Amino acid sequence: MSIFGKFAALSARYDRLKQSGADPFSVKFDDILSSVEGVVRGKKTLLFGTNNYLGLTFDEVAMEMSADAIRHHGTGTTGSRIANGSYKVHAELERELADFYRRKHCMVFSTGYQANLGMISTLVGKDDHLFLDADSHASIYDGSRLGHAPVVRFRHNNPDDLAKRLRRLADQPGDKLIVVEGIYSMLGDTAPLKEFVDVKREYGAYLMVDEAHSMGVLGRDGRGLAEREGVEDDVDFVVGTFSKSLASVGGFCVSSLEGFEILRLASRPYMFTASLPPSIMSSTISALKTLRREPERRTKLTANSRRFYNGLRGAGFNVGPECTPIVAVIIDNPDIAVAFWKRLLEEGMYLNLALPPATPNASAFLRSSVSAAHSDEHIDFAIALMTRIGREFGLLPNETNVCPFPVSAERLGATAATARALPTAVGAGAGMA
Amino acid sequence: MSEEKNELLAEISEVLETVVNRRVELRTDMNIVNDLGLDSIAVMNFCMALEDKFDISIPLHDMASVVTVDDLAKTIQALRSNA
Repeated sequence: MSIFGKFAALSARYDRLKQSGADPFSVKFDDILSSVEGVVRGKKTLLFGTNNYLGLTFDEVAMEMSADAIRHHGTGTTGSRIANGSYKVHAELERELADFYRRKHCMVFSTGYQANLGMISTLVGKDDHLFLDADSHASIYDGSRLGHAPVVRFRHNNPDDLAKRLRRLADQPGDKLIVVEGIYSMLGDTAPLKEFVDVKREYGAYLMVDEAHSMGVLGRDGRGLAEREGVEDDVDFVVGTFSKSLASVGGFCVSSLEGFEILRLASRPYMFTASLPPSIMSSTISALKTLRREPERRTKLTANSRRFYNGLRGAGFNVGPECTPIVAVIIDNPDIAVAFWKRLLEEGMYLNLALPPATPNASAFLRSSVSAAHSDEHIDFAIALMTRIGREFGLLPNETNVCPFPVSAERLGATAATARALPTAVGAGAGMA
Repeated sequence: MSEEKNELLAEISEVLETVVNRRVELRTDMNIVNDLGLDSIAVMNFCMALEDKFDISIPLHDMASVVTVDDLAKTIQALRSNA
């Protein structure tokens, strides 16, 4: 048996998927035309699966700054900051982020994944405890595996369940770190952050919020869920990414806690990887300035999200529990979801397909991310197309005023609270975002 | 096998059935992953349900060293006696 024999079951599943004529894991874009349009198999395709929330990937100023950085500082740093040193732009980016979040400290990582890996694996050690939401992103789980702290999982978005688990370990020495996400990447639901803060205070734990999908999206100034909920002072660490609203690649953590800077000599995913190239950091600084200067992008994003979410729900689709830029259509039968996804691509719409076991309750998700760069026409096209195909597949009745899946936010929230974990390391959507 | 252990196995079975939604006949020598067909997420959910059933904390790395049903029973017994 070859060294790859252990993947036999995964290979078999993938082969079955490919035999159905769809391969959602290796979509090839002939070209990318704008933040929301690409070309697939020669056909102009509307992009609804990019996490490009503010539509800044083709921002003129950011592109110019990026090109200028290459001309003046070269294409790469060719090493880590502890070995090769830091450029001015590293410090500038960290200063800009700290200023935006009104925090004293910021560390920049080479990817958002590494920001979680680097922070979670380092902040808590073997004598501490780490508390993770069951539906945490793969990067959070992987951070927990890289570190040495005992890991306790609590039920998704359930502060009472977290409190129960903290109570069981109340007498244990060591620090306790709770990790939650601003917006969860599969269903688009937000964490009940005020309630989590109450629990954190009661048990004297530290709280980290991953605002990867909520930065630039939630809060009056775009700082995310903690800003929207008015609990920023109680969030000890904010981690985030540059690869969504800021339209590049990289990650960060900000905090005002005394002693934070020592992590630069302790966090291995920070220390032992090449630092971001100047071009990336320059465009990221530009995008952050645009995020702050143009709140109208956030207004448009919110309006677009509402138009799409309400449009799909009104058509009778079973959508996620909350309206955020992540709009997931839940389809019970994964085979239908695969065929549906394939048809959408053929008709000129690209979105993400999430399949079990990466989804709760053996259902599949057609997962879209809305952008401020989408026009009303883009969104209406997408709703009309999905509705037409939904009817073809018998998922929707012909009359749009009849909802075959009457799911209230309350009921769906309750399901989510008891649902299986979302992606860890296996299956479709795992680590996708 | 002691009566206490039989009782514990029955309780573990009960918890497992709520996680996998089917009847399960547990034997102490069963391999939790291979014989019970639990994937990594199911194991973590099983762990969470056991924590609530016995009001204990089973950190995920403790679960990683559990291979058989007997290992699991011993782990739970140890954690309960420490509680």
